[in-house]
Amino acid sequence: MAAATAAAAAASASSSARKGETYTDTKRRDDVRMANILAARAVADAVRTSLGPRGMDKMIASASSGDVVITNDGATILQRMSLLQPAARMLVDLSRSQDSAAGDGTTSVVVLAGSLLRRSLSLLSSGLHPTSLSDALHRLSLRAVDALHAMSIPLDLSDRGSLVKSAATALSSKVVSQYSSLLAPIAVDAVLAALDPAHPDLVDLRDVRVVKKLGGTVDDTELVRGLVFDKKASHAAGGPTRVENAKIAVVQFQISPPKTDIEQSVVVSDYAQMDRILREERNYILGMVKKIKATGCNVLLIQKSILRDAVTDLSLHYLAKAKILVVKDVERDDIEFITKTLNCLPIANIEHFREDKLGHADLVEEVPVGDGRIVKITGIKDMGRTATVLVRGSNLLVIDEAERSLHDALCVVRCLVKKRFLIAGGGAPEIEMSMQLAAWAKELQGAESYCIKEFAEALEVIPYTLAENAGLNPIAIVTELRNQHAKGEINAGINVRKGQITNMLEENVVQPLLVSTSAITLATEFVRMILKIDDIVTVR
Amino acid sequence: MAVERLLKDEATEEKGDRARMASFIGAMAIADLVKTTLGPKGMDKILQSTGRGRNVTVTNDGATILKALHIDNPAAKVLVDISKVQDDEVGDGTTSVVVLAGELLREAEKLVNSKIHPMTIIAGYRMAAECARNALLEKAMDNKQDPEKFKSDLLNIAMTTLSSKILSQDKEYFAKLAVDAVLRLKGSTNLEAIQILKKPGGSLKDSFLDEGFILDKKIGIGQPKRIENAKILVANTAMDTDKVKIYGARVRVDSMTKVAEIEAAEKQKMREKVQKIIAHGINCFVNRQLIYNFPEELFADAGILAIEHADFDGIERLALVTGGEIASTFDNPESVKLGHCKLIEEIMIGEDRLIHFSGCEMGQACTIVLRGASQHVLDEAERSLHDALCVLTQTVNDSRVLLGGGWPEMVMAKEVDELARRTPGKKSHAIEAFSRALQAIPTIIADNAGLDSADLISQLRAEHHKERSTSGIDVISGGVGDMEKLGISESFKVKQAVLLSATEAAEMILRVDEIITCAPRKREDRM
Repeated sequence: MAAATAAAAAASASSSARKGETYTDTKRRDDVRMANILAARAVADAVRTSLGPRGMDKMIASASSGDVVITNDGATILQRMSLLQPAARMLVDLSRSQDSAAGDGTTSVVVLAGSLLRRSLSLLSSGLHPTSLSDALHRLSLRAVDALHAMSIPLDLSDRGSLVKSAATALSSKVVSQYSSLLAPIAVDAVLAALDPAHPDLVDLRDVRVVKKLGGTVDDTELVRGLVFDKKASHAAGGPTRVENAKIAVVQFQISPPKTDIEQSVVVSDYAQMDRILREERNYILGMVKKIKATGCNVLLIQKSILRDAVTDLSLHYLAKAKILVVKDVERDDIEFITKTLNCLPIANIEHFREDKLGHADLVEEVPVGDGRIVKITGIKDMGRTATVLVRGSNLLVIDEAERSLHDALCVVRCLVKKRFLIAGGGAPEIEMSMQLAAWAKELQGAESYCIKEFAEALEVIPYTLAENAGLNPIAIVTELRNQHAKGEINAGINVRKGQITNMLEENVVQPLLVSTSAITLATEFVRMILKIDDIVTVR
Repeated sequence: MAVERLLKDEATEEKGDRARMASFIGAMAIADLVKTTLGPKGMDKILQSTGRGRNVTVTNDGATILKALHIDNPAAKVLVDISKVQDDEVGDGTTSVVVLAGELLREAEKLVNSKIHPMTIIAGYRMAAECARNALLEKAMDNKQDPEKFKSDLLNIAMTTLSSKILSQDKEYFAKLAVDAVLRLKGSTNLEAIQILKKPGGSLKDSFLDEGFILDKKIGIGQPKRIENAKILVANTAMDTDKVKIYGARVRVDSMTKVAEIEAAEKQKMREKVQKIIAHGINCFVNRQLIYNFPEELFADAGILAIEHADFDGIERLALVTGGEIASTFDNPESVKLGHCKLIEEIMIGEDRLIHFSGCEMGQACTIVLRGASQHVLDEAERSLHDALCVLTQTVNDSRVLLGGGWPEMVMAKEVDELARRTPGKKSHAIEAFSRALQAIPTIIADNAGLDSADLISQLRAEHHKERSTSGIDVISGGVGDMEKLGISESFKVKQAVLLSATEAAEMILRVDEIITCAPRKREDRM
C-alpha cells in the first residue's frame, strides 16, 4: 500500500502504472464498507417481518435474566438485540432517532435504510464513487420530502375524527390492534388535554402519564381526568379511603419524630424520663396533625424521604383519627406533575402550611383494581393541562405492549399537533415518491440519474414488504399499485384486510406527514453516513 | 573488555538503518490511515472503543482519530502530537499536517535509499520550507480594511472548512452561523463565550444561533417561569444543610422537645441563609449544588427563580456571560457582583425544557443549538463546528487569506521547484522532493474524490506556470477550476502552521538513528 501511495505522490510517475496500483489500494476500504453494509442489512432483514398491520411479533429473551418481551415495535426490538458490529449498532440509533422524532415508523425507517443499502451495494460494485451516491441520496431526500408535502392533506386540530383515524392506523399493526377503537380516542383526548393554548404547536408528552395496573383486560383501559396513584391509601387505624370535596396538600416534610442534621442522641437516665419522651413524641406529632387539620386539609400526599421516615405508625394513626386520607411515598420527580395537575404548591415546612397552598378536588377515593388498589383523584378544580391514562391488561407482557402501542399512538397525535398534515398510509406515499423520483431521474444526467433511479426503486420495499407480510403476492400487488398511481390515484394503497388496492383515504388509513418525512430523511442520512465510512479503527 | 550488555534485560535498541526504517514506516502508516479523510470528498472512519460499552464514534476529524489510536511506534507518536498541537493552536488542518509530514518522510526515505545523508535532506527541507513560506506570504491577501469583503472571506473560509465535514450539505447555513457567532466576539478569541448545545432530534437544518445563554436545567416548582430584567446571583453553596464539619460532633439531649428545638434551629438557620440571599435584591438564584425542598419553597414564596444543580461548566459560563461572580458567602451583599440579563424564560427545544437567558451583560455570548438525527451526527457536527469556529477566530486576528483547493500547495511547489533549479549540490534533490511532497496534497484530494489525479495535477501545474493563476481542484465538477470564483479560501495562519510543523516533525524523525526502548519498571513484589 505504501508503495502505491508513494507512486501516487510522485506526480510525474507514469499514469498507467499508477492507476492500476490505486485500484488495489481501495480494496481494503471496500471490504470495510461491504462489511458495514452487510451487517446493517442483516439487522434490517431481521425486523422486516414485523412491518405493517399483518406483521409478526418477535419474542426477545434476555440471556442473563431470562426476561421475555413480545413486541412488534421496531425500536424496542433493536434496542433489545445485543449488537456488536458498529454499523449495526448505528442502525439501532437510527430507529431510536425516529422514535424520538416521530414516535412511529421505527420499523419502516430501518427497512427503508436496509433497502437503500442493498441498492448502494450494487451501485458501488458497478464502480461508482461512494460520495456521488451520497450526494445523490441527499438530493433524493429533499425531492422526496417535497413529493410527500405535495400529496399531504392539511388537518385542523378540531377535526377529532381524523386524529383518531391516524392514531388507529398506528395501532393497527400492534398486538393490541383489536382495541384500537378504544385506545385511539384515549390517545387523542390525552394529547389534546395536555395541549397548552399558549403554545399550540408544542406538546410535552411528559404531561401525559401512563399508569400500568395488572388485572382486567385491555378493554378496561381508561383516560382519567385527574390523577391516579399506583398506591394504596394508608389503612392504618381505619383512616378514610374516600373523601369528597377534598382539600389536598402536597407535603415535602415528614410527619415523624424530629431528627436533626447534626448527630444527636437522647440520653435517658431513668424510667420516668422514658415515659416522658414517649409522651413528648406523641405531643409533637399531635401538634403537627392539628396544624394540618386546622387548615381544613383532608388529603395528604407525602413525598418519600430518604433521610428519615416520612410517616410513622403513630402519625398515621393520628392522621386517620383526624379523618385525613394519606398517600405516602410520592417520588420527588412526580411532585412537579402532581402540583401542576392539582394546581397547588408543594409545602416543605409545617410552618408554611396554609390554606392557599392546597388543591381542591371533588373526589379522592381508593378503588380496588385487579389484585391491588389505586387512589384516584377526580373532579379537580382548575386542573392543569395534564392527563393520565390507566392501562390494564391480563398479564405483564400485554400491559407492556399496550403501553408501547399507546406511546406510539400518543406520538402520532403529537406529530399531528406539531405539523398539521396527514398523508395516506398503506404504502401509498412510498410508491408515489418512488414514481415521482423515477420520473425525475430521467431528467437528470450522468451518474446522478443512475443512482436516483436505483434508489427510487428501493423505496418500493415498503409496499412490497407490507404485501409480503400480509401473505399477498407482492409482485402482483406492487405492480398493480404502481399502475393505479400512474393513473393519478395518488392515495391508492394496499388494503391488507381485503388483499387488494383501494383508496386509503376512504379506508381511513392515514398517518401524520411527519412520520413519513422523518423516516425518509433519517434513512437517507444513515445510508450516507455508512457509505462515507471507509475504515474501522479500534481505539481505547 | 568488550561491552557485552549496556542496557537492562528488557530494554532493546535499534540502530542506524533499522531505526530509521522503523520510524519511517510508523509515520507513513499513520499518514496513510488519515489520508482518506482529506478533502471535501474524504471518507469517515468508525472508531470502535475496546473499553466498556464499546462506544462507536464516526468522524472525519484527523485530530480525533489520531488521539484515539493505540500507538506503539515512537515516530507515529510524534505525528499524533503535531496533530494535537495543530488542533490546539489553530483548530483546523489536523489531517493535512499529518499527511504532509508523512509525504515528506516518504520522499526522504527514497533519498536516503539513494545514499543521501539525512542531514543534507534536512538542510534542503529547511531551505524549501523557508522558500515556500515566503511564497505564501507574498500571495496572501488581506481584506481587513474592507469589512464587507472581509466578512465574505470569513464565510468562504468557514464553508471551505465545513465542506469536508458532515455539515457539508448545509455548509452555507452553518458557515453563516459560525461567522455570526465569531463576529459577535468582536476579536476576542475566547471561544468559551460560544456555547454549543446538542439536542438530538430534528435535522441539522434545524440548528440555530441564539443570542444569550441556555442552561439545560429545570426551574423549581411553583416559581416564576419568566423574569424580565433579571438580577442573577450565581452561587456555589450548600442549600441542603450547613453541616458542622468536625468529626464526631454530636449533641446530647434528654428530651424530645429539645430535639425538635434543634431541628427548628436548623431550619431557622437555613431560613436566615435564604433571607440573606434574598437580601441581595435578586430575582434569580442559580446554585451549583442541590437546593432542598425547604429553601426551594422559601424562594418560591419570595418569587425568586431558583435553579439547582447547575453543573460546574454551566455556572462558570453563566457567571461569565451575565457578568456576575460566583458567590459562596452571603454576608456582604454589596461586595457580591450580580449578573444581569434582560429576560429569563423557559423554552422548549425538541422534547426538553431549558432555561433561556437573553440580553446578557456580555454581548458576545451566544449559544449554538445543534439538532441532528442521532448522537453520532451531533458529536461530529460539534467537532466540525468547533473547527470552523477556531479557524474563524484565528482569521479574525490574522486576516490574511489564501485560496484553497490545493492552490497554496501548487504555489509553494512552483517556488520550491525554482529554488531547486537555482541551488547547486545534493541539497537540490531534497528541495525537489519537498516540492513533490507538497503536490501530494492536491493529489490525495483528487484521489479521494475518485478523480484521475495524474491528469488533474499535470493540468494544474501547467495552469500554475502562468503568472497569477488562481486555479485549484474543483472537486464538485471534477476538473481544474478558478478558486477565486468558486469562493474557496483558507486561512493563512492554518496553512503556515501546517507547513512549518509538518517540516519540523519530518526533520525530527529524520534525525533519529537509534531507538532505545526502556525496560519497563518492575512492580515490587509484595508477597
